[in-house]
Amino acid sequence: MYTSENIKRRNPVGSSTTRDQSLQQPQDDHHHSNSQNRASADPYGQNPLKPAFQQQQHQQAGGYGYRDHYQFGYAPPRKEYSANKYIRFYQENDYILIPTLLTLVSFWTRFRDIKSSDIVVWDEAHFGKFGSYYIKGEFYFDVHPPLGKMLVGLSGALAGYDGSFGFDSGAKYPDIGYGFMRIFNAFFGAIMVPLAYWTSQELRMSQTACIFAAVLVLFDNAYLTISRFILLDSMLLAATCFVFFCLTRFRNERHDPFSLDWWLWLAMTGVAIGLVSSIKWVGLFVTALVGLNTIEELWDLFGDLSLPKTTYIKHWAARAACLIALPFSVYVASFALHFAILRNSGPGDAQMSSLFQASLNGNDFRSNPLYVAYGSKVSIKNTGYGGGLLHSHVQTFPEGSRQQQVTCYHHKDNNNNWIIKHAKREEVPEDAGSAPRILRDGDLVRLGHEQTNRSLHSHPIKAPVTSAQWEVSGYGDDSTNDANDEWVIEIVDENSRHPKDGQLRSLSTTFRLRHRVLGCLLTAENVNLPQWGFRQIEVTCDTRNRTNSPHSIWNVEQHWNDKLPAGEGNLYKSKFWKDFWHLNVAMMTSNNALIPDPDKEDVLASNPSQWPLLAVGLRMCGWGDDAVKFYLLGNPIAWWGGTLSLGVFALTVFYYIVRRQRKFQDVSPMEWEQFLAAGKLLVGGWFLHYIPFCIMGRVTYLHHYFPALYFSLLLFSFVIDHFVNRPAVSSKVRNVVWGVAFAAVTFTFLFFWDVSYGIRGPAAETMKSRQWRGAWNIIDDHKPNTFI
Amino acid sequence: MATGSESSLRQRSTVPKHPQSRDDSNNTAEDAPKNVIKSVFTSAEKTNSLIALAGLTAVAIFVRFYKINEPDEVVFDEVHFGKFASYYLRGSYFFDVHPPLAKMMLAAMGYVIGYDGHFLFDNIGDKYNDNNVPYIGLRALPAFLGAMTVPLVYMTMREAGFPILTCALAAFFVIFDNMLVTQTRLILLDSMLVFFMMCSIYSYVRFYKTRNNPFSLKWWSWMIATGVSIAMTTSVKMVGLFTVATIGVAVIWDLWELLDIRRRLTMQQFMNHFYARAIGLILVPVVIYLFWFYVHFAILVNSGPGDDFMSTEFQETLKGNTMADGIYVKYGDNITIRHKDTSVYLHSHYHNYPLRYDDGRISSAGQQVTGYSHEDPNNLWQIYSDSVENTKFGKQVKDKDVIRLLHVTTSSWLLAHDVASPTMTTNEEITTYSTNEDGSRFNETTFQIILESGGDKLRTMASNFKLLHQATKVAIWTHPQKLPDWGFEQQEVNGNKNIVQKSNLWLSDLIEGKNASEIDQESSKAVKKRSFILKFLELQGKMISHNAGLTDSHPYQSLPIEWPFLAKGISFWTENDTRKQIYLVGNPLGMWIAVASLACIIGVSGADLLSRRRGFYPLNQDVQKRFYYATGFFFIGWVFHYMPFFLMGRALFLHHYMPALVFSYMVLAAVHGFIFIEGVDGPISDPGPETRPRQVQRAVVPVVAYATGIILMAIHLGSFLFFAPLSYGTSAISVAGLARRKFLPQWDFHFAK
Repeated sequence: MYTSENIKRRNPVGSSTTRDQSLQQPQDDHHHSNSQNRASADPYGQNPLKPAFQQQQHQQAGGYGYRDHYQFGYAPPRKEYSANKYIRFYQENDYILIPTLLTLVSFWTRFRDIKSSDIVVWDEAHFGKFGSYYIKGEFYFDVHPPLGKMLVGLSGALAGYDGSFGFDSGAKYPDIGYGFMRIFNAFFGAIMVPLAYWTSQELRMSQTACIFAAVLVLFDNAYLTISRFILLDSMLLAATCFVFFCLTRFRNERHDPFSLDWWLWLAMTGVAIGLVSSIKWVGLFVTALVGLNTIEELWDLFGDLSLPKTTYIKHWAARAACLIALPFSVYVASFALHFAILRNSGPGDAQMSSLFQASLNGNDFRSNPLYVAYGSKVSIKNTGYGGGLLHSHVQTFPEGSRQQQVTCYHHKDNNNNWIIKHAKREEVPEDAGSAPRILRDGDLVRLGHEQTNRSLHSHPIKAPVTSAQWEVSGYGDDSTNDANDEWVIEIVDENSRHPKDGQLRSLSTTFRLRHRVLGCLLTAENVNLPQWGFRQIEVTCDTRNRTNSPHSIWNVEQHWNDKLPAGEGNLYKSKFWKDFWHLNVAMMTSNNALIPDPDKEDVLASNPSQWPLLAVGLRMCGWGDDAVKFYLLGNPIAWWGGTLSLGVFALTVFYYIVRRQRKFQDVSPMEWEQFLAAGKLLVGGWFLHYIPFCIMGRVTYLHHYFPALYFSLLLFSFVIDHFVNRPAVSSKVRNVVWGVAFAAVTFTFLFFWDVSYGIRGPAAETMKSRQWRGAWNIIDDHKPNTFI
Repeated sequence: MATGSESSLRQRSTVPKHPQSRDDSNNTAEDAPKNVIKSVFTSAEKTNSLIALAGLTAVAIFVRFYKINEPDEVVFDEVHFGKFASYYLRGSYFFDVHPPLAKMMLAAMGYVIGYDGHFLFDNIGDKYNDNNVPYIGLRALPAFLGAMTVPLVYMTMREAGFPILTCALAAFFVIFDNMLVTQTRLILLDSMLVFFMMCSIYSYVRFYKTRNNPFSLKWWSWMIATGVSIAMTTSVKMVGLFTVATIGVAVIWDLWELLDIRRRLTMQQFMNHFYARAIGLILVPVVIYLFWFYVHFAILVNSGPGDDFMSTEFQETLKGNTMADGIYVKYGDNITIRHKDTSVYLHSHYHNYPLRYDDGRISSAGQQVTGYSHEDPNNLWQIYSDSVENTKFGKQVKDKDVIRLLHVTTSSWLLAHDVASPTMTTNEEITTYSTNEDGSRFNETTFQIILESGGDKLRTMASNFKLLHQATKVAIWTHPQKLPDWGFEQQEVNGNKNIVQKSNLWLSDLIEGKNASEIDQESSKAVKKRSFILKFLELQGKMISHNAGLTDSHPYQSLPIEWPFLAKGISFWTENDTRKQIYLVGNPLGMWIAVASLACIIGVSGADLLSRRRGFYPLNQDVQKRFYYATGFFFIGWVFHYMPFFLMGRALFLHHYMPALVFSYMVLAAVHGFIFIEGVDGPISDPGPETRPRQVQRAVVPVVAYATGIILMAIHLGSFLFFAPLSYGTSAISVAGLARRKFLPQWDFHFAK
């Protein structure tokens, strides 16, 4: 606390330019003299054996926190070494001993008894299966990018697993090395702990606070539980923590731009962003944090009038290269690897373009008859990115014409089969034995749905979702049909070596279907129908005549015709970039379809508002008395403390800035800047990982909060540190506060031990005392707020 | 709008070395002004301004009132707001998502002109003249307030220091906007909303200009006026909260500046400022807002169509409510079960579903369960518990009890199962299952009764409940679709998988044999009392939740992103015989120019920010200050009245853009001035005891400013006249004429073919 006399001597806050300069200058001097004077004996000095970030930490730790007291005659406490050589050894090497110890404990907590449940738990059913596809090389489709699942596949391959297990939910594991696969995953969960420690150091917290931050991560039951199974979350979390660590590390290099370390950590940040985004798209939130930080840095540099313009442009270029180009390359590379591994036809084929599918081993498209003719049975694929197969089923539209639904669907079944017929019955050739007539540009056809015999039909009735366009339905049959069943084939392009001769070939020829009467084009934009349409894609007849839109262009995928010879050889090759975009758009479309289903009572889903105060837990497996039961639940003290610290931080900032407006300086400018900078990163990180879930419409689960939690845990430690680590607080009080904090977190963790390591026996008897909040369903099978 | 008072003292003639500096200590006596006057404007100028104001107001009144008697039919949302006015005049309780003020004003207008509320405005197109409704008087109120918005816009701009040309330009654009015209000529709420919103902005500008004389009478008056205006705005529609936010941000900014130690206010003085604003801008508005609800409850004393929205306790305060007729239902009672939305009874009879429907699907061929609208013995159901041994006869039915329903006349159990219903393949068929057969289907006959209102025990008339099928988790539901001949054209009943839907609610009408004997007829006459604050809190909560629940899609709904570009309109009214129509669409050219000017603001402030960061100060300091504090304030107004809609989940319409549109026209005029007019008029704020008088500076309005202003007005007026037939609905337009007016393909005019 400074008195008003002090204020007069102190320079009020100037523009940020002058502040930066005024602060940086003495600090550099200080560092310089430190390293010269104390290099040999003092751990604050240079030590060639220490990693670079440790060096930086200690150099600046000399300045940070104490530096301003220095100016006012307050000397930093010298580190005093014990006479005992073991203690002295510890004191000299604590920067390496502490994280090592934390990591070892972390390994122990993550790895111990990892095979306690020998059944497929929770989403292991998904991710284990996806891993299997990599081992078998079969093409599959999922909403998440491939990197995490490839790592799961790698762990399986390392464990000697051959990909044959089905990973059915709740199934008992055969001898496939699932323990190793889980340990592989748990490893990622474990390294969050040292990352939290080092990140806290980069945020200039005291050593105790760094340990506390790491312990919060170490002893959070939720992090522990989710790390111990074959899931993507541990990888996502570890990668998120790594991005944040690189970011803080890079920030601390900002006074020495374009140095080797600066480049190294900028590039590392970029690589880390690439990795995290290649695991789950949630990684884009931490990417946004890096982005905002970069914008702020560039804005600060923009105001530095002494900076040469070329240097400023260099700053931009360096960031563009390392934070845009580099991550994008990593992301693309993960897809390239994905396509390279999955060479065989598999369950995900239908999401991709017909040409891509034809290139997969085991696909029989190539033996389709080449030329499509009247009487052929075909499936028809939309060429837009993420386009599906033209589909119909017996269900009818609940509104509009109430005729049979026509949709686009991404799975292969018989409802995708259409028969190409002459538009008018009188045109059908008398002689059934004659050679089929090959389809040509401009031919008039009627498309009959094989299963229901309805014809593809459109009429001037508004489409159910895209109400500006006309509805497409299934109507009539071979005996009743009208002019609204007639479609004109307009050939667009030919993607093979064949000449463009106006003949329709399967797979390679793209064409439009124009409604003869209305003149509109059969179109499927990636718009999902409501639940009554099973969230399949809406098909409309588009009146805007956008002839170049890929959503209005189709190709024949599968083709059967007994009267025509089978096709020969592979004339087809799809391009990587097309496949890459195709898969990404398909992922986006499927992701958008994951919206809460009001018809289904989803006991696992939760609302974002329930997360920060840990109002919900999540049962990860069956709750039978004999089962080993896992309940995904955080360490309440850690979660509540993290959330509370957000509020405390906001109030503290408010208090300080109001006081500063009256020129009371409770903290030195240096501390204030550091306090704001670290707080901005932590609170910003929390917001960016939390708020999007409140806005987005898709179904949300408790584990979506875990990345945000990491920031609030670090903030928890940061806020405590801010209040106790100051001269006004006696060391006794400081020790008591830290002691209580450590004890509370540790004991809560131990108290909820079984929740993470498996509840054995009837939960109602053993877990009663753990029911801290009414809405947790550890014991009862109730689900509050189901109907509201 | 906020600024430091001392910085406005700075000498104009020299460019300060460091414009960012707020240090005024170097102001010395030589800066003293040469001529000291009270206002920068000459008396001739003031007269001109008054003439312009009067002229614009007259034009505005003419434009709003022109042929206000046409059409003499109910148009668009007059269905709602006319009806609500009638309910006030009758005193029948109704429910609406909007606060009461504007509707009460309409009712008051009706009262003054002798309307008795006999007409219910049921359908768009109902004739007023045939029903003897003094609709012109009702429409005159919104039209008058709509016209009065124009002088408010003019005066606000004027008080903010803009030249007459700029003020007139803003007012002109507001007069001749087709959306503002259409929307303010009808019995709707938006004209009151915009009027009070502009009152708030005007009062705040006046208040801010008195800042050099804090706690003076004038200061207090304008602050209270601001507080009253924002309360009135919010009492019209909750959108008024955006106005509160706009003013709130300005007030917080102002307070922040006052807190700055260089303003030399003691903490005591600062807190006085703070408390004064807390009273004027928080306490006063809250009291006024509550007051209108108090009046609302005081007028609506009779039971009415809004009863069902409220809790039982609330309904018991209304005269003639049916709540007191309720008696508790016990196991073993024979009750009728009526659907809340469609008022049909749950019914069954000795007829079965056809085995095969017309579309080829197959049914269970079980006994039909339908919705029947008349009283009939087949509507009676006896309540059993879910246990055969313990029938619980004589015990009261409680919330969440699991029950079985026995159809009395056919002696069969109500049952739901996973078979598609007759008309909806997505829903389950409801049928019955004879007591003569074995009990193997017991589990399909149990339903959980979930009370949504009226306490935790089932009571006739009072309790609304859902019947949730235990085995398959569907709710019993009915909808107005009739069954074919085989179902005697009764309503289809089926199992709805969407169990949260509001239309799943049923209520029990009567208990056979008990109603007559057990209801105490006397007690039903008694009207209970309930404290105002409880009633208010309940209604406010219901308003918010219903507003958020307005998610059903509407053919004319639009997305906020479409509004500034006018991508979609709303068909308000059509008349087939004459092919006349009213189609709500803004003045397209005017709105597109307004969007361009908004982009201009972002561009200019962005460029200014960037160059200042690099140490260049491209704008003259006073111009810059006027740009940020006046134009910027209107821009913030636009942002605050527009952006929040992006976060709303409810169905949104073009007319939600109206408040923001008025701000965008003010921005448009200000940007025009920024580009073409040199300098600014100043000082415009009232001098205080501590303000040193400063030199007057004047804006120079060149000919080109007049020329461009007139061109803009001409474009706007031309566009207005071109679309006027659609806005007024007074004359039909040919097909070719409509095609010409279809600037954007999404504008779905009627009679276009």
